[in-house]
Amino acid sequence: MELRCVLDNVQGLVDSLSAVRWKKQQDAICEVSEHGLVIIVEEWGCLQARVYYRKELFVSYEYSAESRPRFGVSLGLLVDTLSTFSSTGTTGLELSYPGSDMQLLLKLTDADNTCIYAEIRTKVTDTVPKEYSVDGDGGRRAVFAVKSAALKEAIDDLEWPGSSISITISPDPAGVILRGEGHHGDLQIDFPYDAHNELFAAFQCQSEVSYSYKYKFLRATTANVPNSVTKDNRGSKLTIGAGGLLKVQHLISLRQAQQHNMDPNPTQQGRVSYVEFYLMPDEEA
Amino acid sequence: MKFKAFFTDKGVTTLEKKFVPAFEKIGKTCYVYLTRTHVTLMHNAVNADGVQAIAQFKEALLFDDYRISSQNEDRIAFTLDLNLLLRALKSSVSMDGDKLQIKLVKKRPSLNERPMPYLTLESKGFRSAVVQDIPISQPLSRGDVQELQDTIDAVHNLPRTLVQMPDLGQLQILVDRLKNVGEALDVAVTFHGDVHLQVSTTLVSIGSEFRRLQVLGERAAAGSTLDATASPAMRLEQALARGEASSVQVKIKHFAKSLQCSLTRPDTCYVGVAPSDSYLVMKFQFYAPATHHPDTAVTLHYRLPVLERVG
Repeated sequence: MELRCVLDNVQGLVDSLSAVRWKKQQDAICEVSEHGLVIIVEEWGCLQARVYYRKELFVSYEYSAESRPRFGVSLGLLVDTLSTFSSTGTTGLELSYPGSDMQLLLKLTDADNTCIYAEIRTKVTDTVPKEYSVDGDGGRRAVFAVKSAALKEAIDDLEWPGSSISITISPDPAGVILRGEGHHGDLQIDFPYDAHNELFAAFQCQSEVSYSYKYKFLRATTANVPNSVTKDNRGSKLTIGAGGLLKVQHLISLRQAQQHNMDPNPTQQGRVSYVEFYLMPDEEA
Repeated sequence: MKFKAFFTDKGVTTLEKKFVPAFEKIGKTCYVYLTRTHVTLMHNAVNADGVQAIAQFKEALLFDDYRISSQNEDRIAFTLDLNLLLRALKSSVSMDGDKLQIKLVKKRPSLNERPMPYLTLESKGFRSAVVQDIPISQPLSRGDVQELQDTIDAVHNLPRTLVQMPDLGQLQILVDRLKNVGEALDVAVTFHGDVHLQVSTTLVSIGSEFRRLQVLGERAAAGSTLDATASPAMRLEQALARGEASSVQVKIKHFAKSLQCSLTRPDTCYVGVAPSDSYLVMKFQFYAPATHHPDTAVTLHYRLPVLERVG
């Protein structure tokens, strides 16, 4: 086996993967390394989402591949299959790869002689997902982090104009403006930094940046964020980099199984999964 | 034909709280089959392309002063809408009257129409009486009644091995999730007391193995064991190869419906494969009060039609 790992919080993985489901049929690419798992979903040239699941999030993680395995799998199928396991007790779910036919194997054994198992067929993939970055662009980068619930609500409301959504981040006055101008009318939602800095976890902008994004892809970045993220309100971070590349990042807290963890604080270091979206600006706007 | 009886309190509770709600989950209407000694509720008794469910009660469990007569050896059968029966029973309970009488009558719904059959429930309280008429089908012919009787007789011909079912609540959660994956469910039972459930499509197989459950009937020989270190699928193959297991495929929606049997609150549930892999059979037992012995006054069986395997 190139990978054999045990996960005690299956619901956390289900939540992370559900956050990047914006269509019914989606193929995901799974990359396995000594550092953990990365699951990538892409609408080529428009939107890419990545779920990072570091090895520290597993109860055990044994990696022994010579080169990093990469395989394709149906995202919906992976989520539905994992959901089958998340209802059962608190014992660990074992994931291993590859099976005899290159399947992804899952197995969970309960104390009372019950075993649930799954074999998911994987696909060979030649696609190498593009590596996007919003860093190192010589200063024209703007970053802000707001409470996830507020961001989600704003983007949900912006469905109404039925148009592309412009995001403007300016240093003076400091704040963020989301605006849609469509057939039904215009809607603008302001996040002024000084007046409402309780909403902000971070704000950094040296010069104004403004780009437009297709609504359906912008909405995909928050529509399926799990309730735990909006309740925790850790903040979702948005960065606009060179050429208008937008990065939206959410942190999903993962609680350990109850018998392992008496500490009710879910934000302990290492128990967080990262979900990142990369959005290309709308060329038509 | 004539039928008249008074419900016992236990009879009302058994039907209103347990069996009628469970049977409603399988279908809207069902057969009611009355004989001199037994009262039977039946689903899909004749054309078993759905879940076939048969709940048989000794008349003394449900009724006092039970009177039945017909030209067909005092056997009467008809169909009725379970929701109407349930509502009538519920409102009779809220009446808290003296006695609840049930009888078969013929009435004209209006002056212009011809008389139609009804099951009438009459509840007499201290100050008022409530009469509820449940419309029923025309009584079944002699031939159709015999078919119902033949179905009941066949159902008592049980598989040679029955294995205790895993916890129904746990199964319901699992099967609800498996329904998202595929439509056909492989069910296998082994003489070692294992139950296997699996849904497979071209892209995924998900299964569950429940081990070391109680076995009724034929069981594995002492000393015969399966490889504990093998995967569940390999363990099942081993048992099948030795002739110590049976495996059939049923519609997962049928299996999910039959798990609603939990509403009858059985004390034990067993599953097995009928001879020639013709049906998947579930047998439920209800203990006599304050004992751990099955109450012979009530029996419940479900039969699920088996799908032909493709490939």
